[in-house]
Amino acid sequence: MLQYLVILLDDTSVAYCHAENPLRERNLIPLDTLKKAILFGMKENLMIQYVYPDYDLPEEYNEVIESIDHVKIGRDVAVYSEVPKSIAAENAVLRLSIADFIAKQYDIAAILPQVTRLNICLTDTETFKDEQAEDYKKALATFNAVLINQYKAGKQPQLNILTDRLQLKEMHNCGAGDSNITIAPNGKFYLCPAFYYDEKMGISNRLNHHKPSSERSVGNLETGLQISNPQLLKLDHAPLCRICDAYHCNRCIWLNQKVTWDNNTPSHQQCIIAHLERNAARDLQQQLKAAGFSAGEEIKSIDYLDPFDVREQF
Amino acid sequence: MIVKETRKAWQKGSAKSITFIVTKDCQLACKYCYLVGKNEKERMPWEVAKTAIDYILNHENDANFAYESVIWDFIGGEPFLEIDLIDKICDYIKTELYRRNHHWFNSYRFSFSTNGINYDSEKVQRFIEKNKKHLSIGITIDGTERKHDLNRVYKKTERGSYADVVRNIPLWLEQFPGDGTKVTISSADIPYICESVLHLYDLGIHQVNINCVFEDVWRDGDDKLFENQLMQLADAIIDRDLYKDYACSFFSENMGKPMDCQLQNQNWCGAGRMLAIDAAGNFYPCTRFAQYSLRDKEAWIIGNIYDGIDQNKLRPFLTLDRCTQSTPECVNCEVAEGCAWCQGENFDAAQTHTVYERATAICKMHKARVRANNYYWNKLYRKLELEGKREEFEANRKTNNGVVC
Repeated sequence: MLQYLVILLDDTSVAYCHAENPLRERNLIPLDTLKKAILFGMKENLMIQYVYPDYDLPEEYNEVIESIDHVKIGRDVAVYSEVPKSIAAENAVLRLSIADFIAKQYDIAAILPQVTRLNICLTDTETFKDEQAEDYKKALATFNAVLINQYKAGKQPQLNILTDRLQLKEMHNCGAGDSNITIAPNGKFYLCPAFYYDEKMGISNRLNHHKPSSERSVGNLETGLQISNPQLLKLDHAPLCRICDAYHCNRCIWLNQKVTWDNNTPSHQQCIIAHLERNAARDLQQQLKAAGFSAGEEIKSIDYLDPFDVREQF
Repeated sequence: MIVKETRKAWQKGSAKSITFIVTKDCQLACKYCYLVGKNEKERMPWEVAKTAIDYILNHENDANFAYESVIWDFIGGEPFLEIDLIDKICDYIKTELYRRNHHWFNSYRFSFSTNGINYDSEKVQRFIEKNKKHLSIGITIDGTERKHDLNRVYKKTERGSYADVVRNIPLWLEQFPGDGTKVTISSADIPYICESVLHLYDLGIHQVNINCVFEDVWRDGDDKLFENQLMQLADAIIDRDLYKDYACSFFSENMGKPMDCQLQNQNWCGAGRMLAIDAAGNFYPCTRFAQYSLRDKEAWIIGNIYDGIDQNKLRPFLTLDRCTQSTPECVNCEVAEGCAWCQGENFDAAQTHTVYERATAICKMHKARVRANNYYWNKLYRKLELEGKREEFEANRKTNNGVVC
């Protein structure tokens, strides 16, 4: 069920998830389109998330934006593409390559106490090598140590890749096309911003080799949402994910399509990273419990990192 | 009394199927052929074949090749157009299996599905003589002359090919007694099904594997015609006692019942567990995912002989199950058992880029088949009971080999 409407205010709106935004030319959403998008969100009872570019919008836009309850990504939620020295916002997204995440773990650990919530977003998940697993585990252990100290200091720190799993009892994933949908400046719907970027960059959708097309939209504000095979965006139609308990995993639909070519199938890399985090969350949970804190339902010990290895076979 | 059912496929389930697309050329231009991109240019070079074999044998212990046995399959177009290359490939495989002391040594087969036109050529016959103990060859003949020639015509002259195929059937049966043929049914040839199966029996072919095409070609009323043809065939097989020595895959006891999503959730075919290689050295999960097989979609290439297999591109195939890819109507179907699908056709017809959308063009034909199948078994069992041979029949029952594509 749709819950969120993401509105890209400009082609250069900040990238806040796995995909980079390769678009460099400004293309502000027409005011009329913005109004229609908001109206759609109101009628569908969706929470609106505006995604901001790095420049100030014309005043008439601000009035329209404020006409409905919302979150401002790129404003209320700060988004960084490199580790900042300090963070002023309460909620922040830090987008990093795997190598930078590992190399700068102590810099990240230093800013962690400055925010209420930090979302780490890896920008090159698909390049993860199994040989990087040990280094990734060590980095996660570094953050666990910081988190424990914060708990002991009476705080409730949130680091998405470690603390989210403690609270979850079921899958809580990206939800592209299922719990959220994106409107681009052209007035068309996309499963998420990354699909819009791919369309604009002319990346083939592989659907017709006679007439290659990069079309990725799933409807528009005039005719409404038209998502083909919507069931394949849901958990019960994802054979690997439905047996998995890495509940915090992004289960990124865009990465699925990019790497395995099927929306419902995650890559080996996505699964490995999610399970390293899941297991680190288990370590955190055990340390918190040992220190006398409540830390959610027990995360069980498992002997695999990729659910593909324990998949249902009929 | 022996009641004939279909022969089991060789090492079914424990053999890796590796397909060389040696050519995309064929003498024929069959009207129902799913190969939309046949051409005379894409012939596999020897170096590509050799590199492919080296890659496969170098990865003996990889999960992709951890099978007890192997079936080296050769497909086209018409594979025997490249008999010189095939002979060289097979010699190299045998030599390398021996040299490497590979676990597939002496646990392999070479498999061919041919139109049979040049079956009696000197080169093909020499190849057969050399490899006979490890060969499976099926000649595809569609039935009576008028049925066969309705679809199976030469590509330039559009002349029917029946006469050129049927003359080789006795030689083939002499060399491979008991092997079956594969018949394909499209809309136009439904009226000839009964006479065609009986004709194939008359030719001495004891096993007829037959299936309707999976593409969306069926017209209003085809299901009724199909049902009538199968009932006529059922009458002929039972009334003439042909069931004792002959088999037709249309009739199977294991079909037409509801299915359970927990206990009966396996995928229909082995797409993804098989490996196909084309002339460019690209790997595919099955030949049906190569570009020459696809009407619309871009080819689903899972790697190549130089860089290896991209496991991520295989994951959707290796996690496929029946219910996840099926529509709610299929999941809840009262006669679901035995309803086949082709993963490649599913992909080609899908609305999105997925192998998880089951094409259902064949639905009404399956339901018609179920009705005729029920008729067949009710009639046969009644006859056996009246003759006091039911128990003997049950004792000799064999399983179907499930050949459908």
